[in-house]
Amino acid sequence: MTISLLLIFPIVLCIILFLLKKENLNNLFVIIYAIIHLLLSTYYMVFEDERFISKYIRIDNSNIIFLVILSIIFMAVSIYNKGYMNLENVPIKRKRHYTYMLIIFVLAMTGVIISNNLGLSWVLVEATTLASAYLIYFSKTKNSIEAAWKYVFICSIGIALAFVGVVLLTIATGDLSSLNYYELVLNAKTYNTFWLKLSFIFILFGFGTKMGLAPLHFWLPDAHSEAPSPASALLSAALLNSAYFVILNVYTIVYAGNCSDYAKEMMLIMGFLSLFVSAVFIYHINNYKRMLAYSSVENMGILIIGTALGGAGIIAAIIHLIGHSLIKASFFLTSGNILKIYETKKIKNVNGLMSVDKKTGWLWMLSYIGITAFPPSILFISEFLMIKSMLEQGHYILAGLFLLLLTIILFGLGRNVINMCYGEISEERNRELSNNRNRLKISMYVPQVILLIIAFLLGIYIPYNIEMLIKLSVVGL
Amino acid sequence: MENVFIILFGFTILYTAATSRLAAHVKVLIWQGILLFLICMFGMNEFTLINILFIAFETIVIKSIAIPAFLGGLIKRTKGYRDTEANIHHFYSLFISTIILFFGFLVSNINLPAMKMINPLYFGVSISVIIISLMLITIKHKVVSNVIDFITMENGIFLLSLSAAKEMPLIVNLGVLLDLFIAVFILGLLVKHINTEFNDLEISHLSDLRDCEYDN
Repeated sequence: MTISLLLIFPIVLCIILFLLKKENLNNLFVIIYAIIHLLLSTYYMVFEDERFISKYIRIDNSNIIFLVILSIIFMAVSIYNKGYMNLENVPIKRKRHYTYMLIIFVLAMTGVIISNNLGLSWVLVEATTLASAYLIYFSKTKNSIEAAWKYVFICSIGIALAFVGVVLLTIATGDLSSLNYYELVLNAKTYNTFWLKLSFIFILFGFGTKMGLAPLHFWLPDAHSEAPSPASALLSAALLNSAYFVILNVYTIVYAGNCSDYAKEMMLIMGFLSLFVSAVFIYHINNYKRMLAYSSVENMGILIIGTALGGAGIIAAIIHLIGHSLIKASFFLTSGNILKIYETKKIKNVNGLMSVDKKTGWLWMLSYIGITAFPPSILFISEFLMIKSMLEQGHYILAGLFLLLLTIILFGLGRNVINMCYGEISEERNRELSNNRNRLKISMYVPQVILLIIAFLLGIYIPYNIEMLIKLSVVGL
Repeated sequence: MENVFIILFGFTILYTAATSRLAAHVKVLIWQGILLFLICMFGMNEFTLINILFIAFETIVIKSIAIPAFLGGLIKRTKGYRDTEANIHHFYSLFISTIILFFGFLVSNINLPAMKMINPLYFGVSISVIIISLMLITIKHKVVSNVIDFITMENGIFLLSLSAAKEMPLIVNLGVLLDLFIAVFILGLLVKHINTEFNDLEISHLSDLRDCEYDN
């Protein structure tokens, strides 16, 4: 019953919206779905006995933390979305289509997370592409067409390659004719290692495209910068996690099949390449939303490095995932405020943010402090654990490289953020910008504040229950 | 018998590599759909009515009729009949494709223990079709060509799934079908919008978004 609320209720909402076509229902329905999503995921998190495993769906220790993160991000986005969409000067019909797609997008991501079957996960990841393509194309400009085209095309190719991986995995499994995650892990020792290794390459490349790992990240900066800010926040803080979750599940199979050494090397290469690409591009970036997108590429790289390290590294990866989702959502939502005030995405055209709108300025600055892992950000714990894990495993050069690349990224991001926050602006320009600032509603500040408070509090103290959930989510790795 | 159809399927991709007329590419898609149907029919061990109906729907109705009709209409509406400015001349792309296909045939004759778990010819040809399609996507200059090459790649993947020599779960089959249908539909819609916005379908228009400014 409760699970059908999570999966069928959003479809019912879309049908009602389609039949009634009332403008005021758009935001209301998004918020109702977000509240139900949050309540249900919290319910499953608190009441362990209510979690279940069926043939196609599961809510258990492995995915509950991913589900809760999705709920929190969606809740924050739904609150912000109300204020943001009221400022968008577009036809009512387009806003309605946006609402359908936003709801279906979250539904598809929920499906990916709670799916207990690799085939089903694959179908649902493709569904996320199709739903979010409209969100990217929302403004219907030349640039948004370009971004949507690249997104759909590159991700479709990636997903097609992931399917090749799924087919190769079915070859590796021999007589087992199932794609159920539990059965796949249970029988992993009997698989043909040649096909298992080959399948992991395709699956890593396929879902890695969706996750935004370099060198398959090309769609990501375009898509994240062209989508409306609430959608960018969901793309970066929730969609990438969903793709990572599928990779993590397949890695569990490969690990159980004793082929993890090979997989670890592949993941380390892609992880460091992602850090390198981000370090190079963030330094010369001209668009602050693209800058955040490259920061996502960097953080996905860190996640996959942590996964490859195993042990404490993989726990650090899950902590990093939580922190990145919370802080990056806040960062992207705040970028929406800046866009509405300055009406430009160019870094060089934004300065004096602190004097124009102190609240947005501080949110921007605190999001920066959080994402670059300054204590007490939760990301400090995860990155510290990862470096510790690298040193313990004797990867001294990798640890050095990791620190160097993170420092370059920190500097690149910091330079742009500080330039945007400070600097002189003329009185006339200040007046003009202040008019824009006055249009921003309180709902465009509150979600970021809450997200940052959670991220910084978790950096000081991780409650025992959450710590256990993090550890249990990667048990067996 | 199905081996003949598999080899013919492999040769269709060479025709795609060698010609610039988009209408010819669409015709190749029709033939590929028919060949995939024949490969399934001759290669299948168990015949059930539902199986045959599903495969006929997937290969003949979707791959040979619906998608080509949709793409044919799109080409007519957008008046982009040829893709002449590929990055690599057609002769060279044919040459490279032939070599890749040749290696595909070689792979299917490798005598490895792991190869005994699959149908080698299915595997060799499908992998070469996937690689050639990816290559064609990178060298073509029209967005419609990219969509056609993407569908060719999906056809190669369909053949690969047959090489597993066992039934794929139904959910995956349905997923592939849905994916192909919707992806083509969405890509088709985007092609229409690109044509309206930019007046033609050159891929070079889609390169405005970049990271750095070159102010000179």
